[in-house]
Amino acid sequence: MRSSKLNFPFTAIVGQEKMKLALVLNAINPKLSGVLIRGEKGTAKSTAVRSLAVLLPNLHVVKDCPFHCDPYDIHKMCFECREKVRQNVNLEAEERQTRVINLPVNATEDRVVGTLDLEHAIKRGEKRFEPGVLADANRGILYVDEVNLLDDHIVDVLLDSAAMGVNSIEREGVSYTHPAEFILVGTMNPEEGELRPQLLDRFGLCVNIEGISDAEQRVEVVKRWVAFEEDPDAFIKEWQTAEADLRTKIVHAREILPEVEISDEVLNKIAQISIEIGVDGHRADIIMMKTAKTVAALHQRPVVTFEDLEESADMALQHRVRRKPFEDIVLDRERIASVLRQNVSVTK
Amino acid sequence: MKTANAKRREASGRVIYPFTAIVGQEQLLLALLLNAINPSLSGVLVRGEKGTAKSTAVRALADLLPDVEVVADCPFGCHPRDKGRMCLSCRERLSGRAELKTEQRKVQVINLPIGATEDRVVGSIDFEHALREGQKRIETGILASANRNILYVDEVNLLDDHIVDLLLDTAVTGINIIEREGISFAHPAEFALVGTMNPEEGELRPQLLDRFGLCVSIESIPDAESRVMVIKRREEFDSDPPGFSQKWARRQESLRTRIRRARELLPRTFIPEKTRAFIAQICLLNQVDGHRADIYIEKTAKTIAAFNHRLVPTLEDLSQAAALVLPHRSRRTDLPKKTLEDFHRMLAEELAREEGHSSERQRSDDEDSSPVQVDADQMVTDEDSEFEEGDGASSSKATGDTSDLNAPDSAARLEPGTDSEMLGNQGEVDGQRCRDRLFGVGETFRVPPLLLDRDRNVRKKSGRRMPTKTLRKTGRYVRSTAERRNDDLAFDATIRAAAPHQKNRVRRDVAIAIEESDIREKVREMKAGSLMLFVVDASGSMGTRLMTETKAAMISLLLDAYQKRDKVALVTFKGDSAEVLLPPTNSIDLAKKLLEDLPAGGKTPLGHGLLKAHELLINHLRRDSQTTPLMVLISDGEANVGIRHDRTYEGPGYSALLDELFEIAKMIREDKRIKTLVIDTEEKRFSVFRNASTSPSMAQRVARSMGASYCKIEDFRAGGLVRAVKEQVH
Repeated sequence: MRSSKLNFPFTAIVGQEKMKLALVLNAINPKLSGVLIRGEKGTAKSTAVRSLAVLLPNLHVVKDCPFHCDPYDIHKMCFECREKVRQNVNLEAEERQTRVINLPVNATEDRVVGTLDLEHAIKRGEKRFEPGVLADANRGILYVDEVNLLDDHIVDVLLDSAAMGVNSIEREGVSYTHPAEFILVGTMNPEEGELRPQLLDRFGLCVNIEGISDAEQRVEVVKRWVAFEEDPDAFIKEWQTAEADLRTKIVHAREILPEVEISDEVLNKIAQISIEIGVDGHRADIIMMKTAKTVAALHQRPVVTFEDLEESADMALQHRVRRKPFEDIVLDRERIASVLRQNVSVTK
Repeated sequence: MKTANAKRREASGRVIYPFTAIVGQEQLLLALLLNAINPSLSGVLVRGEKGTAKSTAVRALADLLPDVEVVADCPFGCHPRDKGRMCLSCRERLSGRAELKTEQRKVQVINLPIGATEDRVVGSIDFEHALREGQKRIETGILASANRNILYVDEVNLLDDHIVDLLLDTAVTGINIIEREGISFAHPAEFALVGTMNPEEGELRPQLLDRFGLCVSIESIPDAESRVMVIKRREEFDSDPPGFSQKWARRQESLRTRIRRARELLPRTFIPEKTRAFIAQICLLNQVDGHRADIYIEKTAKTIAAFNHRLVPTLEDLSQAAALVLPHRSRRTDLPKKTLEDFHRMLAEELAREEGHSSERQRSDDEDSSPVQVDADQMVTDEDSEFEEGDGASSSKATGDTSDLNAPDSAARLEPGTDSEMLGNQGEVDGQRCRDRLFGVGETFRVPPLLLDRDRNVRKKSGRRMPTKTLRKTGRYVRSTAERRNDDLAFDATIRAAAPHQKNRVRRDVAIAIEESDIREKVREMKAGSLMLFVVDASGSMGTRLMTETKAAMISLLLDAYQKRDKVALVTFKGDSAEVLLPPTNSIDLAKKLLEDLPAGGKTPLGHGLLKAHELLINHLRRDSQTTPLMVLISDGEANVGIRHDRTYEGPGYSALLDELFEIAKMIREDKRIKTLVIDTEEKRFSVFRNASTSPSMAQRVARSMGASYCKIEDFRAGGLVRAVKEQVH
């Protein structure tokens, strides 16, 4: 399903390399559990997310299934689809682009988790479920602009589904469950308040972005944007090769990702970095490892190097560093680098 | 009948991370296993930072749970012979000499979702049946499924208050009573409650806390090697879940066997009379409320013994049990958890030393078997270890003998020493850093009730400060309305409205014909919390005594906020800037910790503080326009740093500083949504230099221009706050 509005090409976005990298990594490996983009207004956050979807390879989905189940994976199917498989009904498959589902900040709980239509039930005596945003987002990208302004109980619901990969609705003794696995991409402006640490931790990666300060690049931003506005089709055509290149890269990376190996030395350093920096829990370690692997896959390398780790460490640690009163939340890159350096000298 | 949970597990159809593959976290794993062996331990509360395998462990437990015998067609899974705990229908059938068909089923982990409604939890009328057949039938809820199972609440501290009340009620009696929508029904609901929580997100109510038999606090593993192991296993699991579980299947099976054996052994375990003295000693030392702790230590120690193939718990078993039972019951809040653990260890060591020369052989036995290794590799090997009945018995006899003599002594010796050491430490922490001083916390006191007006606004948030109507579909169902607002259908009222018209209506496949005009909706009520924002002066002018008293006042307010489920936020100012120390959160604990660590020193940028506070409140109101935030400024009001750095405020410029300050204050006053309170910390010895009635203190002047309630910190203790708030409300 292609939206009628044309998207600014991902590769044509000037600068913001970290953000682009984080998004591409998530496109390669959905297990990275999302990106949180912290930064000012007007820094191409939304543009990047929307144009990422165009880059993603197409999905196979069960036709007419509201949850877009994968017709070839029975473990992650919704109840109805699985019943059909069990009764040997053939599931009609179709190919479709990955979708970006927008979760508006003022969304109600009903809209997010879906509703059991009780009125229908009471009049007709049968249950009917109306899918919500989480159903739409299954196997897609869930994009939450201004995630820090989201209502607390909606955040709880999101957390729960993101963690379990399942959304369950319970009303008046009726319950309904469906799969809800999605790449969670959130943006926030830290000036408007921080996110709860619990939710922060659920985002696999985090990048801080700011407006570009280099005058030349700024001019380039405006130039490209004007060119796109004037004639989107021509502009997109112009960037076609770059887009195709990146898409191939993503597809290749996805293919080799399962084979990427990581040595014990690198794993050891990951643990050391976590201990040195001081993070809560083990999620940082796991994400760091997954990110490093994905970076290696992106570079078409079968073995994770220390450079890959260095490239990924700050994205995974940024938002997990413990903070004390009157201390800045700045991540000490130097400390990470020094742990890595120790590592290199030891291995030599 | 399939329970909702079984259905869900089927629906999700995913492979669960194996229990035995969890790295480290021995205490957590042990606590969970003990509950699998002995359901009467009534559950575990798992407290810990995010990302420490809390939820993973609980979910993994489901795979290890043993079988129990149940009445085959009973929705509550009644025990086929225990008449006292049967549901009504089973009991009737049993007394009617009817044969009860039985079957074996696994103990299950029943999930209670945070967003669950009251109907779903306790059960309600089955409306589908009612509509089709025109008959009354109960649709049982989560509590029914939980009978004789484990009830699992993820993020239990986020559970709505009225659901917590329901849980408590049921947990006390073991019976769930449905009394609603024209039905009255009771059924057994005995369950072990397993909850996980992240203390950063707020604390649990003490009554609920006490319902958990055991409590475990977990942290991430500090050792690099194990961390690597965590990463490796997780990745292996993620890349091939079925293969990974296959690999661990043998270990899972042997652990299952071990649990089953422990269950068989459990009824035969016993605690010698004299060992009880030791238990009592530990409980006294910890100043626990009531006797639940004693009972649970005994039960837990027995279960640990059974798990380790012993009939009589050893000392090590006992101290392990104490470490699980006491953390959430001990009133020794003056001591950190670690110190208490040391106490237990020292007590145990002392006793062990005494008993050491009594039996040489026994110590070697202890070394073999005492640490309950829940590590996966260990479990497999342990399984083969022999049955050590005789040795165990002799060991605890020795324990009993010595504990009488030694325990009281050692307890008395330990206490005062550690107390003073604690105080010493507190004074020294952060002593050097930027020459800020850290002040202890004075004695806290009960805050006089700080109730805001009940209002007519509709709210989405829950809390306990004010009763309020809510449009969310949770909260107590108070009455119904014909007004359509949110499709939250009131089934009973709708039927009642439709009933008189049935004669004239055409029915299609349903017993009752319902039309648009019959629809009634539920009006729900919940208590809303507000936001308390503390703006704290941490400048040098807040002397030692004052800072101590300020902290005491704030912690008392925090305590009050906690009981009312308010959110708190913290802004402090000192030097030449202000900072949001704590964004709005439910975690009173975190606020308290930050306060205790709050260093003081430097100038007083009051203007910055107020601006920052205002900004924070505006942001919060934008997100949640329905709270009424209360801003509490704690300061002496003696500002000496202005907003603009390019200006001097010394000497003649001082009036410019005041103008600025009052302007900010006025801005806050003009925002009618924000209520304010100023607690003046001016020292008495300064106030004698001026006539209080004619020349107000600086803080008083700020309060006036802010339109705030005002009280002195001394009055605050004496109930001045009530007056202050009342003045402000009227």
